[in-house]
Amino acid sequence: MNQVVAIAVNTFKETIRDRVLAVIVVFALLMIVGGLWLGSISLGEQGRMMKDFGLVAVTLFGLVVAVFIAAGLVHKEVEKRTVFVLFSKPVGRAAFIAGKFVGLCATMAVVLAGMGVFLFLLVWAVAGEASGMLLVAVLMVYVQLLAIMAVTIFFSTLGSAILASVLGICVFVAGQLSHNVLALTRLGQNAVTEALSWVVYVVIPNLAAVDVKAGAVGESTLAWGEVAVWTGYLLAYVVVVLALAALVFRRKEF
Amino acid sequence: MTGQSALRIAGLHKAVHVGFRRRRVDILRGVDLEVAGNDVFGLLGPNGAGKTTTVKVALGLMRPTSGSVELGVPGVSHVGYLPENPYFYDYLSGREFLGFCARLFGLGAERRRERVEALLREVGLQDAAGVHLRKYSKGMLQRVGIAQALVNDPELVLLDEPMTGLDPVGRVEVKRIIQGLQERGKTVLFNSHILSDVHELCTRVAIMREGRVAWSGTVDEALDEAATLEEFFMRTVTA
Repeated sequence: MNQVVAIAVNTFKETIRDRVLAVIVVFALLMIVGGLWLGSISLGEQGRMMKDFGLVAVTLFGLVVAVFIAAGLVHKEVEKRTVFVLFSKPVGRAAFIAGKFVGLCATMAVVLAGMGVFLFLLVWAVAGEASGMLLVAVLMVYVQLLAIMAVTIFFSTLGSAILASVLGICVFVAGQLSHNVLALTRLGQNAVTEALSWVVYVVIPNLAAVDVKAGAVGESTLAWGEVAVWTGYLLAYVVVVLALAALVFRRKEF
Repeated sequence: MTGQSALRIAGLHKAVHVGFRRRRVDILRGVDLEVAGNDVFGLLGPNGAGKTTTVKVALGLMRPTSGSVELGVPGVSHVGYLPENPYFYDYLSGREFLGFCARLFGLGAERRRERVEALLREVGLQDAAGVHLRKYSKGMLQRVGIAQALVNDPELVLLDEPMTGLDPVGRVEVKRIIQGLQERGKTVLFNSHILSDVHELCTRVAIMREGRVAWSGTVDEALDEAATLEEFFMRTVTA
């Protein structure tokens, strides 16, 4: 446990002190501010447009941060040979993967909380709406990104950082669509394609199930029970993927 | 640990498969080595002889293809290791880095602070303790590397090319640290190309060639057969 905490704290320091992260966050905040312009040209829908645009910005920039940092975390340690220092000490491979993930989770929490609170205050100041649902939507973006970070770390134990980044983004996109694919193949009534889409549905995390952006901007009502169940599913998915990453990483030699 | 074996390696083989066609390359071809407790042991050999691989297998960073490694200490928590050309986390200060290493051994906050400050003094980095490692010179990095290898007060210390990149002052300091370790009853195994340092520090040496130990014995035994250690080394690796 000591090792996990030590590696998590070190990873948090590493990522939060990264200047690239600061640049991405500044861009995200600028894009959220850009929502003001969109709101100003939409008649009577300023608040909704700002929230909509702001949540998309939070998701996209959150994804960029999550994928690119997660892809480099393990890879950088191997490439720069800091693993020699770590694994010559009583540090298990599973503790290493867990520590890296927890540290990145802390960084993502700070980044998303910063962007979420900024968006909340902006909507409040400009449109006069103090929408707590905005913060809930950002929290659910965080849950989605936890799964993507775990998947990206898993891929980074298999191959290069670039490949892990690309696959991480692919899983994010597929995770938004997997339930639609399953529904479509059921309409076709073909047993083979339905079975294949079931496999994809099980392997790819169903991210759309915890997406509450539409509810946050007032476009739909939310079934909170279902959201809670799917959140539990995503957290279990994270544990399984990290366990697989630890298994793969255990076989590595340095 | 005096008299006991601190490290015993028997029949160690290590093969890796490289390239698209997975060509087999034998790095170690049956290494036999024994390091006695409280000894300063020099592992010599030309580049590619298998010195670093031997140390990595001993530490568990690589798995042996066959053969055995026995540590004379309870586990890696009693071993210290300085890798060759070390690179550390450049976003951390020297003090933060050593604190991180101490935390990996489960040292509590108070004990950690004491240990880190003592090590910073020992390697002469107390004035640069708050500076980020990216601003450290090669010699400073080597010294912080030695400090991290000693953070757990290990019984067995493995140093891979500890003198590389050091100026004469740095080399004297590192030699002083190694001698201090021996005086405190520790066992030191180090790889080096600098034969004068090996002559000065080591009681026993092993010379590796093409993945095997070509010769092993005391420095005095080597000097009985040649005028200088350098001459003996050249004769052994070119035989």
